[in-house]
Amino acid sequence: MKRSALFAGLLLLSFPCNSLLNPVAWGQAAAPGTQQSPSTPAPSSSMNRSRVRIPGPLRAFLRMAAISQKSTPEEVLPFLARNVVVEGYQYWQDKARKPTEYLKLLKDYLLQARELQTLAGSEGVLRVANCAEVERLLPVIGYRFRTPCGPGTTLETADPEKAFLAVDSGFPLVELEEALRQGTPFSYSVVSTEVPVLFDSNDWAGNEKSVLDTLIDDPALARLYWALARLDERTRLTLRQSPGIQKLLPLAAVLDFYGSHVYIRSGRVVVPGGAAAEPAWKALVGVGPDVPGEFVLRLLEKDQGWVAAYFDTLARVPRSQQTYFTNPERLSRFYEALRGKNLSPSPARPVFRPVAGLLLLLTRLQLESNGQPHIPGNLEVWKEVFRRKSDSKVVRDWAKRATGWSRPEQFVEAMFSLSRVPSKDSPFSVYLLLTEIDRRRSPQQRLSPATVRLLAERFSRYQNQYLLFTEWRELDNASITQFVTTATALDRVPDKMVRANALGTFQANLGLWQILARQEQIPAGNLNSSFQRVMRPFADIKTSAQLFDAARASLGEVLRAAAGKPDLSQEEMIALLGGPEQSTPAGQQMRQEMANRIRAVLDAQRLVSLNTLFSLADGLSGMTQGKAASDSLMRLAGELREFELPRPIFTERERSEWASGLHKNPHADLQVRTDLRKVINESGKAPRELADARGLLTPFFRDVLVGFNYAYYEPPGAQMLHNNTLFVRSHDFSGQMTPTGEESWQTPRMFGRGWSASGGAHLAGSLADLPYVLAQLEQDFIVPENTQSLIWADLVPGLLTAAVLPRWWRVTPAELRAVALYQRFGEELLLAAGNDPRLRQRVLEILFDRMLPQRLEHFEQALEAGRPQEVLPEFLPTESAYLAAEFRRLYPGEAGAGGPAEPELARLVREHPAETSWERIAQDFGVPHPTLIQTYTRELLVLKPLPTFLGYSSRLLAESWESNNLYWARLAEEKGHPPAMLHRLVPALTHRMVEKIFATHLEDWPAVLRAMREAGEEFRAGRILSAPNAERASGQ
Amino acid sequence: MAKLALLLVMGISAVAVSGLAQEGEAPGAVFRVEVDMVLLNVAVTDNKGNYVTDLRPWDFQVTEDGIAQRLATFGEGGEAPRRLGEFVAGQSRPRLVQPYAARVSRGRALLDGSARNPIQVETPEGVAAMAAGASVYILFDTSNYMYRGFVFAQDAITEFIRSLENPDRVALYSYSRDFARVVPVTTDRVQVLRGVRQTIAGDDAALYNALLMTLRDAAQISGRRMVVVFSNGPDNASMVAPEDVRELAQAEGIPIYMISTREARHDPVSTAVFERMSISTGGKAYFAKNWQDQQKAFASIRDDLSHLYALSYYPQPNPNRGWRGITVKLVGDHVKNYRVRTRTGYRPRLPRVAGQ
Repeated sequence: MKRSALFAGLLLLSFPCNSLLNPVAWGQAAAPGTQQSPSTPAPSSSMNRSRVRIPGPLRAFLRMAAISQKSTPEEVLPFLARNVVVEGYQYWQDKARKPTEYLKLLKDYLLQARELQTLAGSEGVLRVANCAEVERLLPVIGYRFRTPCGPGTTLETADPEKAFLAVDSGFPLVELEEALRQGTPFSYSVVSTEVPVLFDSNDWAGNEKSVLDTLIDDPALARLYWALARLDERTRLTLRQSPGIQKLLPLAAVLDFYGSHVYIRSGRVVVPGGAAAEPAWKALVGVGPDVPGEFVLRLLEKDQGWVAAYFDTLARVPRSQQTYFTNPERLSRFYEALRGKNLSPSPARPVFRPVAGLLLLLTRLQLESNGQPHIPGNLEVWKEVFRRKSDSKVVRDWAKRATGWSRPEQFVEAMFSLSRVPSKDSPFSVYLLLTEIDRRRSPQQRLSPATVRLLAERFSRYQNQYLLFTEWRELDNASITQFVTTATALDRVPDKMVRANALGTFQANLGLWQILARQEQIPAGNLNSSFQRVMRPFADIKTSAQLFDAARASLGEVLRAAAGKPDLSQEEMIALLGGPEQSTPAGQQMRQEMANRIRAVLDAQRLVSLNTLFSLADGLSGMTQGKAASDSLMRLAGELREFELPRPIFTERERSEWASGLHKNPHADLQVRTDLRKVINESGKAPRELADARGLLTPFFRDVLVGFNYAYYEPPGAQMLHNNTLFVRSHDFSGQMTPTGEESWQTPRMFGRGWSASGGAHLAGSLADLPYVLAQLEQDFIVPENTQSLIWADLVPGLLTAAVLPRWWRVTPAELRAVALYQRFGEELLLAAGNDPRLRQRVLEILFDRMLPQRLEHFEQALEAGRPQEVLPEFLPTESAYLAAEFRRLYPGEAGAGGPAEPELARLVREHPAETSWERIAQDFGVPHPTLIQTYTRELLVLKPLPTFLGYSSRLLAESWESNNLYWARLAEEKGHPPAMLHRLVPALTHRMVEKIFATHLEDWPAVLRAMREAGEEFRAGRILSAPNAERASGQ
Repeated sequence: MAKLALLLVMGISAVAVSGLAQEGEAPGAVFRVEVDMVLLNVAVTDNKGNYVTDLRPWDFQVTEDGIAQRLATFGEGGEAPRRLGEFVAGQSRPRLVQPYAARVSRGRALLDGSARNPIQVETPEGVAAMAAGASVYILFDTSNYMYRGFVFAQDAITEFIRSLENPDRVALYSYSRDFARVVPVTTDRVQVLRGVRQTIAGDDAALYNALLMTLRDAAQISGRRMVVVFSNGPDNASMVAPEDVRELAQAEGIPIYMISTREARHDPVSTAVFERMSISTGGKAYFAKNWQDQQKAFASIRDDLSHLYALSYYPQPNPNRGWRGITVKLVGDHVKNYRVRTRTGYRPRLPRVAGQ
C-alpha cells in the first residue's frame, strides 16, 4: 500500500519531521549557539554605535514619516528607509523620478522642525510668556491672530502649508491658544531624539549630510538600508566587510525581497538543504557558501535575482521539505525549469514580490512512499490537461515536452516553470488545487484520472467551488462528478433570472450543508451520501416553480441529514445553525446567543421567513387540488408585500447617470413588484398558473437561504448586515458583471463601494470564500484605536475569518486546558534554556523552522546572555505551543524545563489522549488557509510569517498568523471560562485586537503581535468582556 | 388585570421602553409592552426665514400615514420637554425671531473683524438659550478631498465649537477611509478643541460609513442630538448607501446638518445627497464660499438649536410595518402662513430579538 509522506511545511505537527534530527539538515556547524568562526564578526557594540538626531519631537516626526508611534528607536530609521522607497517616489522603469506628496511634506516638516529648534535655543524648549513673545513663533507654524491677543483671542491659519505641517505633526496649538487667552506661560519641548544607525553614519552619508537626509534623498540607498536592517547582525556585519555597501547597492532590490534568509554562521552561508546541499549551491551560484561575501553577491546578481528568489523560497519551507528539492541533481534541474529562457520580468522589479507560485509549489508538493512526487490521477491525464490548456506559449511548449514524460519529476519541472506564470487556470493552478484535494485522502479516496480530467476541464469556471472537496475528504469521486454535472446543468437553465436563482439556492444549500457538517451535526458517515442527496433535486431545472420545489427538497435533505427530519420551522432552522444541542448552562447560553445573532441579521435584512414561504407553497399546492384560497393564505401572501426598498434619495435618471448600472437590482425589484394576492385572485385554479405563482416565491426563498449563510458568518462589528436591507438581496449570481460571466461560480467580488447612487456595496459571484469576503466588506467599520494606524485591507479579513469560522462545541475543558499548557510549557522551555546550554541547543534547533534568522539570533542572544525573560513577550503563542509539542515528540520522557506546566500536560495527555493530542488541537484551534493551501480545514502549519506577494498582498501573512485562537483560548482558560464561551470571546477579542493594530507597513507582523497582546492584557485585567463569576462557573 | 405603568423616557425616540408592573401587583404579574416613542424636532419659520417662537402644543397637528397622533410631550428651544397637561390652555401668541444672519447684517458688517466672533453679537438671552440640552456630534472629513482646505476647515470647526454656548455635550469624530472617535461625547470643550487640532489628513473618503457610525453612537444617548458634518464630499469609499444612513437618522430622530463649501458643488452627487439628506432629517445643508466664511452656517445651526420645538408622541395603531410618512401642520389662522421643517418620516424598528 502506498503511503504519502507530506512535506512538513504543511504538516500537522504530529507528522514525523525526521530532518529535525538529521545533522545535515542545516548542519552541525551552523547550529545556533555554537562557536563562531573568526571570519564571522561577532555581534557587538557596532550595532547602535552610531546615532542620528531626529529634529523636533520624535512623536511629530513619526507622524509625518508615517511610522507607528509604537515603534522602537531601533526601528525608526529602517521604517523611514522603507517608507521612502515605497511611499516617497513615483517610479518609471525602476527609476525614482518624482517625489511624492508624502516626501515633500516630510522634507518640509524637517525644515519646520529645525526652525522651531532654532527658536527654542540650546535648551530645546519653546517658551512663550506673553503675547509679544508669540510673534516670532506664529509665522513659523503658519498661524496668526484672528482677534487681538488677549482673553478672547483665537488663532487662524495664515500660511496653510506651514499650518498643515504644524497641526499634522501634532503641534499643541490649542494649548498655545489657551495659554494666550488665559495669560499663562506656554512651553513645548522640541528637543531632538537620537536613534540608532546601522553600522556607522559614514557608511551611509558624507560629512555634509546627515544619514536622515541622505536616506530621504536617495531611495536606492534607503532600500539597501531597509534590506540590511532585516538581516541578523552577524550576517550584516559580514556583508559590510565583504562585498561591502557599494557593491550591494545595485542589488538592494533583490536583497530587500529575498535577503531575509541569508544567514552567515561560522564563515559560511547557511544554505537550504544544509551542509549536504552546499556543493549543489556552489554549482548553481558559482561560488561556495564558504566564501560568504562572494556567494551572497553572486546569489543576488545572478539571473536578475531569480537564484536569490529560489534560495529564499526554499529557505522558507521546513528543512524536512528542503531535503527533496536540494538534492544536487534536482536543485539545478528545477532551477533551470524555473528560470526558463526568459528572465524578464525580474523578480525584484515590482513593488510586491511576484506571484507566490513558487512558494506554494514548494510547500504543497507531496511525496509518495517511493520518494516520487504525488501526481493526482496519473501522468497520462496530465499530458491531456497540458494539451487542452494551451492558452499560453509556455504551456504549449511544455505540452509538447509532456508527450515524452515518463517520470513524475518531469511533471514537477513543468510546475516549476509555470509557477512564474500569473494565471488562475493554468495546469499549475489545477495541480495545486487537485493535489490539495488528494492531500488528506487515503489512496482509495484519491481522485481518479477521470475525475482529474473533469475537474481540469471545468477548472476555469468552478475552481473556487473545489474548496468543498479540499475540506471534505469524505466526498468521493462520484460526489465530485455529480457536483460538476449539476453545476453544468444549472449553467444551462435557459431563463437568466431562474438561472441566477438556481445558482444562489444551490450554493446556499451546499453552504448550509457545510456549516452543519463543520458543526458535526451531519454524522461523518453520512457526509458523502447526504451531499449527493442535497444536490440531486437540482439536476433538471427549467422553471422557477421547479426551482422552488428543488430548493425545498434539497434543503429538506440538508435538514434530514442534520436534524433527522426534512421540515423545520424558521426558528428550528435558526436553532440548528446556532449549534448542536448543549448540556451545560454555558453551552446552552452560547447556542442561544449564536442563534440570536443569526436571527438579528435575518430580521435586519427583512427576509421572509421559511414558515411563510412553505405555507404559501403548500397553500398553492392545495389549491391545485381544489381547495379554496384561505384567509390565512391571503394574509401570508400579503406579507410578501411588506418589503420595501429604501426610500430613494436619487431619481431614477440620476441613478442611471451616477451609478453606472450598479444600482440595478432586478432581483429585488421583482420582489417589490410581486403581488401574490393578486396572482392568486386572478389565477383561478388553473394548475399552471398556480405553479407559476409558486415560482414567484423562489426569489424570496433564495434570499432567505443566502441570508442564513451571510448571517452565520457575520464578522464582529458588522454594519452592512444590519443597516443595508438590500445587502443579501443584492447578491448577484447572474454572472453579468463581467463579459465572460465567469464570476457566478467564483469568489464574490465587491461592487458599488464609493458609488453613492448605487444603493450600497454588494457582492457579485458565488458564495465561495464567503467568510473572508464578508469580513473584507465589513472591515471598514472597525474603528482604529490609534490615529494614523494602518489596518491593512488583506490582513484583517483573514484574521476575522479565523475568528468567525470556527465553532467550539466539541472542545472539552481538558482540551482547553491542554491548549494553555502547551503554551506555558513552551515558555518554560524557553526560560530554562537561558541557563541550560544543552536545552538551549534543542530549543533553538526546534525554533529554526519557525523563526527568520534575524529573530532567531535575537532569541539566541537573549538566551546566551541568561535573559530569556526579555524575549518572552515576543514569543508567539504558535511558537511556544509548537516548541512544547515538538519537544515532547522529539524527547519523550525527558525532563525539559522543570516547570509546573510540563508534568500537568503529561498527566492531561495520559488521561485524555484524544482531546489533548496535537492533531486535535490543530483541528480545533488552527486557522483556515483558503489561499495558502486552498482549504477551509483548520490546521496549524509550520510557517514563518509570510511577506507580501503580488496578488495576495498580506493575505498570506494573515493565513500564516496562527497565534490568535491559541492565545484567546489560553486566556479564556486562565479566566475560568468554559470552552463554549469561546464563541463570544474569540470574535470579540479578535475585533478588539484589530482596533489596536498600529503598524507601519504591510509586513509589520510584530505590530499584529503587539495588538494581540494588548487586547489580551485588557481582557486579563477585566477591562473588556468581563463576565460574572457565576456565568463562568455555571458552565463547568 | 395588571395595570401598566408607562416609563416615559424623554428624548429617546423610537426606542423600546418597557413598562413595569406597579407596586402592589402580585409577584410574577409583570406585563411588558414595547412602545416606540417618536420624537420630532420641528422648526417653524415665516416666509422670510424668521423663527416663530412661543407656539403651544395645540398649534401643531401631527399625522402619521394620515392617522392623527396625540402629542405626549412638548418643548421649545432649550427647555426640557413637558407633558401636555402642564401647559395652560389658551391661544398662543407667536413671536418672530430673526435668524442670526439677519441680525448681523442689520447691525454690523459680517466680515469685519469684530463680527467674526458671532458670540459677541448675540443678545445675552439668545446666547443663554442656545443649544441648551443638546448633544452635538461633529463629523470632520479628513480625507484627501479636504487636503488643501484642511487647516481652514479646522479653523472653522474650532470657531463653531467655541461659538456653541451651552450644549450639554459635544463629540468630535473624523473620517477618511476609516472612522475615528477623536473625542467621545463630553462637556469638556477644550478637549474637543484639542481634538480638532489633533486630526490628521487621511486618504479615501467614506462619509456615509462614518455618518452611520456617528448616528449609532448618538442614538445611544438621551436628549436632543444633532450631527454636524464638515465635508466637501464626494464619497469614494463607503459601503453603505446614503439612503441607509438617512433612514437611521430618521428612525432615531437625529437631524443632520451638512457644512460644506462651494467646492462640493462640483460634485452633483454630493450636492444632491447633502441637500436631500439634511432636509429630510430636519437639518440643513450649507455651501459657503469657503471655509473661512461659514458664520452664516454656524449661526443658523445655533438658531435651530435654540428655536426648535421638540414634539413627541406614541404612534396610534398602524398596520404599516414599512415606511411611515410624518406630516406636521400648524392649526389656526394665527399660524397658517408659517412653514414647518421636520423629518419626513421613519421606518419603525421590528420587534427586538428575544434575549438581546
